[in-house]
Amino acid sequence: MSPLHNLPEETLILLLKKKNQQAFSYLYDNYADALYGVVCRIVASTEHAEEVIQDVFVKIWKHVDLFDAEKGRLYTWMINIARNTALDYRKSKGVVNEMKNQPLSNIVNTKEEQDQSQSEQHTKADFIGFRNILDKLKPECRILIEMAYYEGYTQQEIAEQLDVPLGTVKTRTKAAFLQLKQLLKDYR
Amino acid sequence: MDIAAYISSGIIESYVLGLASEEEVSILNCIRKNNVEVEQAIAEAEKALEGLADIQAMAMPAALKQDIWNRLEAENQIVKDDQPDSLPTEEAISDDAVVQPPMLNDEEEPKRIVPARSYGWAIAASLLFLLSAGVNLFFYQQQQDSKATLAKTTAALDSQQATLAVLQDKWSLVQNPAIKTIPLKGVENKPDLHALVFWDQASKAVYLSLEQMPAVPKGKQYQLWAMVDGKPVSAGVFPLNAKEEMASKMLDVAKAQAFAITLEDEGGKDVPTLTELCVMGSI
Repeated sequence: MSPLHNLPEETLILLLKKKNQQAFSYLYDNYADALYGVVCRIVASTEHAEEVIQDVFVKIWKHVDLFDAEKGRLYTWMINIARNTALDYRKSKGVVNEMKNQPLSNIVNTKEEQDQSQSEQHTKADFIGFRNILDKLKPECRILIEMAYYEGYTQQEIAEQLDVPLGTVKTRTKAAFLQLKQLLKDYR
Repeated sequence: MDIAAYISSGIIESYVLGLASEEEVSILNCIRKNNVEVEQAIAEAEKALEGLADIQAMAMPAALKQDIWNRLEAENQIVKDDQPDSLPTEEAISDDAVVQPPMLNDEEEPKRIVPARSYGWAIAASLLFLLSAGVNLFFYQQQQDSKATLAKTTAALDSQQATLAVLQDKWSLVQNPAIKTIPLKGVENKPDLHALVFWDQASKAVYLSLEQMPAVPKGKQYQLWAMVDGKPVSAGVFPLNAKEEMASKMLDVAKAQAFAITLEDEGGKDVPTLTELCVMGSI
């Protein structure tokens, strides 16, 4: 399940810039599942996710020449392409986020329901792994990562939705990452 | 800046989640260049999300690999191994380009060269340039011609206006009721000569106009004489610098029965040289 990543990023970048079949195979075999996972969380429909993931690969392929290693890691760059392409797709399809304009008390339940509906569209094994990880975070941290990372909310929107000061959003973001790092360490 | 406080503020995590404001991002990009700890903290946060992506990975449908490859081929995005490296990124950046900091800038994208078409455009451009140059030359020449014509016309106009002014002067003399016009006619051996004396009866002023008189030889000058009671009295010499057609003011004459012109040495004489008599006319 986990990508191999057995090439250093610099080598991978050089390989990708060759734009040949070997480069494509390596990219696909090592990153496709992870990127597809990101897309599925956001688009929440396998049919649409398959459409989006193709766009994601085409974009990565076309834009790799412009990737700047000084501004970040290649894998993160690819994840962000997947994430933003999926978020844009969802916006263009007019998927209204159910969480908006709802009282705070509904948010947790709504998220649970969303997770449930998503889980039915994917294989159970895939989804359990994901949900277990985030469920182990404190609820306020889990909500924050989901809203920011998979829903595309701005910091201000999160503060308003959760009815907490902006500063609290920042400190919770920090706390969420500390927990996440610990969980990942345990998971491995 | 307190780097430890900056790192623990949560700004870095906000950044990797895509939550940071534009201002926060630009500050962060500035700091990370000069601070290894910040750079390291960013990498750590990014790795956390990469780890999350690893764990939540989902199996891609098997057919997609070939589908995507076919699409890249169809869009001419593949470099065959036996081809030299090039950047086939014709329509690379689509409008929905990602808004993450590591993402791209449309302007930086190398433009693909399309040789055949470019060549055509180059030829067309060259032809247009030649045409343009030719037209410019043509119009430049025309302009030069126009300038020359205009100069000629202006000169002609000037001379005509000068002539007109002279005629108007004479006309005003003729029109003046106080002026008496006395035609002077050529003598026996010079029948074609002709001059006019305008004599103001009120002011006694005399004007001479050489209507048909040959140009004076060098060192010579025409001199006007008034015949007063049978004796010639000088009325002055016709100025050398005056134009022949002009009516030039001479000496006043109070009383005269006739006028005559002789050709004398420059400066004139006290008594006329009768052999040099040209024209005369009685009142």
